[in-house]
Amino acid sequence: MLKILDFFEYAKSESLWMAHFCTGCCSLEMAAAMGPRYDWERYGYMPTPTPRQADILMITGLVSKKILPALLRTYAQMGEPKYVVALGACSFDGGPYNDSLSVIKNPTEILPADVFIAGCPPKPEAIIEGLEQVKAKIKAGIPSAASQGGLWKEMEF
Amino acid sequence: MIDAFISGFLFPGVLYALVWTVGLFWFFRKFMAPLHKRVGPYYNGPHGSYQTLFDLSKLWTKESITPTGVNPYLFSTMPLIAVIVAMLPNVVIPWTNNGPLLNTPYGLLILVVLVGIEPFLLFLIGFGSDNKYSFLGAIRVLTQAISFETAFFLSALAPALLFSTLNLSKIVESVSFVSFLILLPSLILYFISLLGLLEQPPFNIPDAEQEVVYGFMTEYSGTGYFMLQLAKFVEFMAVFAGAGTLFMGAYRGIFFDSYLWFFIKMVSIAVIMITIRAATPRITMEQMLHFSWRYLVPLSLLNLAWVMFAKAMIFTGV
Amino acid sequence: MEGDGVLMDYIKNTISDIPTEYIEDYKQNWLKCKLKDSKDILTITEKLKKLGLRSISTISPTDFPNENKIEMNYFFEDLQNRKNCWVKCDIPREFDKCKIDSITPIMPSANWHEREAYSMFGVDFINHPDLRPIIVSQDYYGKAPYRADFDWRAHEANQLNNLKAIVDDFKSDESKNEKILDPLGSDTMLNWGPTHPASGPIRLKVHCDGEKVISVDPEIGYVWRALEDLVTRKDFIGAIVAVERLCFMDNINSMTGYCMAVEEIAGVEITPFAKWMRVLLGECARVSSHFMGLGNFFNTMGLHTLMLWNMDVREYFLDVLESYSGARIATAAIEPGGVRYPLDISIFKELQAAIDKFDSVIGDIEAIFVKNPTMKLRASKVGIISKNEAIDFALSGPVARASGVKTDIRLDEPYAAYNEVKMDYITAQNGSAADRFRVIFEELKQSVDIIRQAKQKIEEGVASGEFDPQKDHMVKVPKKLPAGEAISRVEWARGEVLMHLVTTEKAKSPYRLKMRAPSFNHTMMLNRLLADKTLSDIPLVFGSMYICQGDLDR
Ligand code: SF4
Repeated sequence: MLKILDFFEYAKSESLWMAHFCTGCCSLEMAAAMGPRYDWERYGYMPTPTPRQADILMITGLVSKKILPALLRTYAQMGEPKYVVALGACSFDGGPYNDSLSVIKNPTEILPADVFIAGCPPKPEAIIEGLEQVKAKIKAGIPSAASQGGLWKEMEF
Repeated sequence: MIDAFISGFLFPGVLYALVWTVGLFWFFRKFMAPLHKRVGPYYNGPHGSYQTLFDLSKLWTKESITPTGVNPYLFSTMPLIAVIVAMLPNVVIPWTNNGPLLNTPYGLLILVVLVGIEPFLLFLIGFGSDNKYSFLGAIRVLTQAISFETAFFLSALAPALLFSTLNLSKIVESVSFVSFLILLPSLILYFISLLGLLEQPPFNIPDAEQEVVYGFMTEYSGTGYFMLQLAKFVEFMAVFAGAGTLFMGAYRGIFFDSYLWFFIKMVSIAVIMITIRAATPRITMEQMLHFSWRYLVPLSLLNLAWVMFAKAMIFTGV
Repeated sequence: MEGDGVLMDYIKNTISDIPTEYIEDYKQNWLKCKLKDSKDILTITEKLKKLGLRSISTISPTDFPNENKIEMNYFFEDLQNRKNCWVKCDIPREFDKCKIDSITPIMPSANWHEREAYSMFGVDFINHPDLRPIIVSQDYYGKAPYRADFDWRAHEANQLNNLKAIVDDFKSDESKNEKILDPLGSDTMLNWGPTHPASGPIRLKVHCDGEKVISVDPEIGYVWRALEDLVTRKDFIGAIVAVERLCFMDNINSMTGYCMAVEEIAGVEITPFAKWMRVLLGECARVSSHFMGLGNFFNTMGLHTLMLWNMDVREYFLDVLESYSGARIATAAIEPGGVRYPLDISIFKELQAAIDKFDSVIGDIEAIFVKNPTMKLRASKVGIISKNEAIDFALSGPVARASGVKTDIRLDEPYAAYNEVKMDYITAQNGSAADRFRVIFEELKQSVDIIRQAKQKIEEGVASGEFDPQKDHMVKVPKKLPAGEAISRVEWARGEVLMHLVTTEKAKSPYRLKMRAPSFNHTMMLNRLLADKTLSDIPLVFGSMYICQGDLDR
């Protein structure tokens, strides 16, 4: 019995599907990671059209104020277990837009991310490596960061 | 008892359906990838062959969300019904030379009817999801099913007409090279209506991602979605097997008769289907209706006339 | 057509009976004038329209709190005949007096530009048909965030409240659409985006009856980064970071535009080598953008193959950019004074590899996708823009050319080294979605041809010692610029980018930078193109308009 459960746990970590959601320019490199040269499907990643079937929400770079409620809604629509991956400098501290009056500087304080991928934009290799880290995290049985806390729980969206 | 167990759970029952789903899903992705100049699943298992197993297992164990505002019982049982209905044709299809599980004189009728009601279940699934995109997708499923089923039935009827029987095993036994040639137009028509019925490009209108998100499947997650995927792939199997049985002599092959031949025939249909998928954009609803009612249905009727003519003139020997 | 062949002098004479402070020639094809009285804006608009200047490129207010005025800049263009006019006028700053007549009734292309000025600067346009805020998030409604004295840090201090304003607005919208709009019939409001697989961060509020679209109301601003405001806090070199993020698909050309404006104010002339490098890099970026655009077009019809094939080739061009600048996408490779890095001529090997790769696949792409009968069936009857419409709505780039408008800033107002490049307008006649696709495809080939020319030119120049790739790439531009004002136009992958730069005396950072980006006008067209069509046409038309949300929202 344990073996079977282990198998399902393993399957969960090896099959990560992404919600289609672009908030910033990093999504260009995400597209490149899907493309022929980097082809993340080799590792089993796949985009899926609706958040309902997704395991991973990518914060692709900047999060503007206007899109934040939509981002949180998308996250809420996903089924457990779900993880958040933050791409680029923007999702860490606003990056180049740190001074901008419309970009949220602390998106991951609101929706904590499991893995940060550095770069502006991160290279496709880096994105794949970051996703591999999510796999490792799931294999180690660590619960997702967003389920542990974050402002999103208190917010209305 | 053992027999019933074997046929119910192993072949051609649940396990067979599961293995087929996992395998075809993998094959779709792996075959599609080179057409896209990619590699496809690679790292999990030999040539990524475990990938879809993982995917489907994950879906199975993932949280199923029931949105508020839907009837929870219907919402979660409909996919199961869809799977069962999709799996039922398996009993009448002569998989091996032992004949089908249920050798009835009305095999073809059962096959066609069971394949034909599947879209209506999908319609109900979308209709019951309480989501605008699901609803649009559901309406599209219905529209498309109505327009393609006519052609599908008519072309599936051709072999019955030619061999004067509805019994699938009899049809398989009567298939010869001459009959294959006579039925070639029917096969082509069958294939086209199969694309429509299975919602494959260029007729993937009901689950057009860019238009209606995921059509009737938009609200399904976890187990429900797994069921729907299973139903979809099993439906593929039933329709492919139908083509194999009706036109290509199912398990019969060169040198020896075996399930292997049947498998090869089904996969070759899948290959053509995927190749079309990789090279054809989707058409719109009006164009689909236009195509179906102006060309496909009249052609299927003409085809029936041709089959009757051939039966009278060429095929009198049988 | 009326106004054809009218000379600049004639325009000058015609508008000279309106009281102006000055009328002067500016650059090659421009006339610059300042109205004494802002009430005359309607008169001059009508006159200019009669003279053939039928498009308004953008409207750019500049805020001068010390002089207590807002200076309005109108850029009138004649897309085909190389005649443009820059009209200025002053209006008072106080919110209740900050009013000017709307020119939208005369020139429909001003519609959203006026809305933008209204939301960013609080300029009230009298008689505007639909003066709602645009781009800004709900918490900035009525606050004029781009005014020089707006304290955004104080505003941002209360982040949660601001977010609440956005959520409240969304919810009231939702309840309105769900409950009040035709509760018994089949009319409904679909939110096409921002989480939709084909939309990207834009929300089209699609009012539809079943499959039939009644109207489309684009709601934009989901990637609003306030770039125009952001640059005022960076120095002249730092600003290129913001400028290139206009849209990453083609970042080089937008930087070129900005740098040209800075160079004009600084009075610096760059070297021929740098000019050719700008052409070369710019065309590489254009190729990479066009590849994505073409792929996207087919994506909207559910076929991803072209996108992936294109990305395969695009990677090679990105390699060139990466070898040159160190970054695949965020290159920051153009700087005021030239190009940022010296050229290591060995990257031309990579460029050659990219060109070879391009040559090896372009035939297949043409045979399978450009001539695809299903695509033609679907796309040649939807999204039709007539030539007149294209001019009236100030469309530009491939979209305008597909409607038969001969406009290409590389030819009309050559910048960098484009005056030495051999090229021609690529146009189509019908202006349908399929035509736009074809024009973009042909331009792709043209761009590669230009890359070849530039490569050859640079190679020859280096071989003959005319160019020194180690030193010629930059000329010094002072850190502090004099007070001035300049505009520059470049042909960006998606159309015309107009940069309007204002500096103050001894400035270290731009005082005001207005970026006019093409997608703004193209999105404005969506309602016209989609009303009475079906849901299936939305992604197709949207994809064919070659819209990038980045430059739509800025
Ligand atoms: S990190 Fe860089 S590439 Fe990513 S969204 Fe931010 S600015 Fe764009």
